[in-house]
Amino acid sequence: MGDLLAPSGTLETLLGNEAIARGALEGGLNVAAAYPGTPSTEIGEALSLAAKKLGIYFEWSSNEKVAAEVAIGAAWSGLRSMTMMKHVGFNVAADAIFTLTYAGLTGAMVIVSADDPHCHSSQNEQDNRHYSEAAGLPMLEPSNVQEAKDFTKEAMELSYRYKIPFMLRTTTRINHQRGPVRLGEITAKGAIGKFEPPEPDRYLQVGAIARKHHLELLKKIKEIQGISGNYARVEGPHDSEIGIITSGVSYAHVKDALRLAGLEAKILKIGMTFPLPERMIGEFLRSINTAFIVEELDPFLELRIKALAKDYAPDLEILGKLTGHMPQVHEYTIRTVLEGFSKAFGVKSPIDFSEIDRRSSKLLEMVPPRQPILCPACPHRSAGYALRRAAGRAVFMGDIGCYALLFQPPFRVEHVTHAMGSSIGIANGVSLATQQDVVALIGDSTFFHAGIPALINAVHNKRKFTVVIMDNRTTAMTGHQSHPGVPYDAIGREAPSISIEDLVRAMGVSYVRIVDPFDHKGTEEAMREALKTDGVSVVITRRECALLTVRNIRAEGKRIVPYRVNRDKCTYCRVCINTFACPAFVDTGSLVEIDPAICFGCGACVQVCPYDAIEPQEGSINWRDDRVGV
Amino acid sequence: MIEEFNVIVAGVGGQGILFTTNVLARTALKMGINFVQSEVHGLSQRYGSIRTELRIGSEVHSPLILEGTLDLLIGMEPLETLRQAPYISERTTVVMSDHMIVPMAAYLSRFRVPSLEEIIEAIKSLNPKKLFTVDAYGLAEKAGDYIAANVVILGAAQASGAIPFPEDLIREAISELSPARYRDLNLRAFDLGREASLPR
Repeated sequence: MGDLLAPSGTLETLLGNEAIARGALEGGLNVAAAYPGTPSTEIGEALSLAAKKLGIYFEWSSNEKVAAEVAIGAAWSGLRSMTMMKHVGFNVAADAIFTLTYAGLTGAMVIVSADDPHCHSSQNEQDNRHYSEAAGLPMLEPSNVQEAKDFTKEAMELSYRYKIPFMLRTTTRINHQRGPVRLGEITAKGAIGKFEPPEPDRYLQVGAIARKHHLELLKKIKEIQGISGNYARVEGPHDSEIGIITSGVSYAHVKDALRLAGLEAKILKIGMTFPLPERMIGEFLRSINTAFIVEELDPFLELRIKALAKDYAPDLEILGKLTGHMPQVHEYTIRTVLEGFSKAFGVKSPIDFSEIDRRSSKLLEMVPPRQPILCPACPHRSAGYALRRAAGRAVFMGDIGCYALLFQPPFRVEHVTHAMGSSIGIANGVSLATQQDVVALIGDSTFFHAGIPALINAVHNKRKFTVVIMDNRTTAMTGHQSHPGVPYDAIGREAPSISIEDLVRAMGVSYVRIVDPFDHKGTEEAMREALKTDGVSVVITRRECALLTVRNIRAEGKRIVPYRVNRDKCTYCRVCINTFACPAFVDTGSLVEIDPAICFGCGACVQVCPYDAIEPQEGSINWRDDRVGV
Repeated sequence: MIEEFNVIVAGVGGQGILFTTNVLARTALKMGINFVQSEVHGLSQRYGSIRTELRIGSEVHSPLILEGTLDLLIGMEPLETLRQAPYISERTTVVMSDHMIVPMAAYLSRFRVPSLEEIIEAIKSLNPKKLFTVDAYGLAEKAGDYIAANVVILGAAQASGAIPFPEDLIREAISELSPARYRDLNLRAFDLGREASLPR
């Protein structure tokens, strides 16, 4: 809602991810590339808007490794680049990044790793700070939106100065935090660089050369350690005997917790968490009697601080995860920190949490869980419905996308959700290890990301299974980004689209069918045929994401007219709820109704009712018959 | 000078929760007051439980509200409002839509869903400062489209007296944040909400 491109000096409300984008623009960004992934996506969305106005380059790449390589190529051509990814995306890009720190660069490059403690929108809560030390990749960690902007700019400048990529490591509560940000000058622009290695072997990592570069990397890290203290500060009463060491969003929780608990302690807030400001930490440790470490996930700081204490303050009491005072999983809140204070220092919490838990737990039992489910009018619901009917006894390898929600009843056509592209990859293994019918479900964007090599492997190795490519013409789960299969690019320009059906046919897949999932009967038939086929078969269920269709209908100035249930025809058999489960269905206890505030008016459910009780209203359209959204 | 004012907007993904929170944050910015807001993006938006948190004031740092310290709960849906029970205390004003959206999983598992009256009683047992319900969807339809139900509730929250901002600045923020084609609809919805909340 803030203006990303507002002039220097303005105080703008920005989302953390917009602040990161702005920081890159203030750091002279020329090129950025990313694959969307929560919680990093909005950085790219913001840069895509900026690209149109500033002439910089931004693309949604086919995956994180390719995105990182786009940024590497630009940084090796003297430009300033950035690539952004969610924590698990870093795993995909890591191959290119580990060697990059040996190689260095001639321009500048920032790598944003957006971690997701608590798995808000992820399959694990891996702590990517380990990548930083493992790859020799210096890392900055912002604690709020202002720092998100400032540290990104700083990372770009430092990268340019030290000729090494810098990592900006964030967590969901920084990426998706919104707040006022004081802006600086935008210096980003479109630019043409020149690929010119500073030494002939600079970018050639083969044995003898790489060995030399590894030594150089260690020297460079040592040098950067000399400025690490510039990004750390000590706050609070100088003579306090308790010292809290923290970084990232944990710092914010600590600030509130200290005020609420009335605890007297000083804080060492660290901004560059690799390489650490060792001497500064050491001196801080010497000035206190007890150190309390507050950091989410792994004891990254804690272990290193313990090692430092051996030299600086061997008798110091160090409290944190290893002593059981703080949890090692999930995200922190003010409460986590207050409870840690209670355990460590016996401070009474200003809030009686046990009383809160006691009186709210009974009330919470009254509330049914509400997990995310597929939207009304979602084409994946229809595809899942058809698949359940066609392949009830198969085992289903799912993938990363909205369709992962098909693991839920009544569909249950996902037994696996693992990593990007793993549906087809793991189907390779299950189909060879068993005699079961195997189905892999994968979305269009995920197919381009990591499904292609796995499918090639399956054809070449004569596997037998069925792949359902659920093509909703966008990267839907992260908010509708472009991918190589659509005819426009990341900033909305026309672009060549790669045809999924041509691609799979070229791989040698013999059975390829394209269906509109809203044609339930046709989709079910195609899936039955595919399962009977020897070898690898592919069914492409193609229909635009319903949210896009709704947006388009509204943009044309038309109203969404919901369907309704004819009370005279509804027998309350509940087949609609028990097999199709659209969130617009309301069970009144004597019949099923459609909530007009939720129904998108797609008409797909008409096919599900055995008594033809679901009917259009005046002005309703039927998306399948009227060819809307295909 | 506001030291700490905590707001949760809770509901079901797709109900315009973020817009509602953004209006309040923008109003805070207009008044030159510090704030920090926490949002939900990604898969959890898809008709799941959603809660945005907004903390306004000179002393706030954490983007997440501490249980028991909530000042205003804007509930877009009764079940989701009750789900915030750990946050509700004597300092909380609750303004809630009366339109239930029962999760599909409850139908499939035959979970006994409480009635609106039971939910109201449950919330009352936490002794909130005030509790209001509003026919948000009925009034939004009257304003022109269901889509504006979030702004109806915002209007009701403003009328409750719990928001420490002047009405005209909130209206200004709504105007600025609304896409052009929804601007008038939203302002109508805000006014209808202001007139129509029901004290419980």
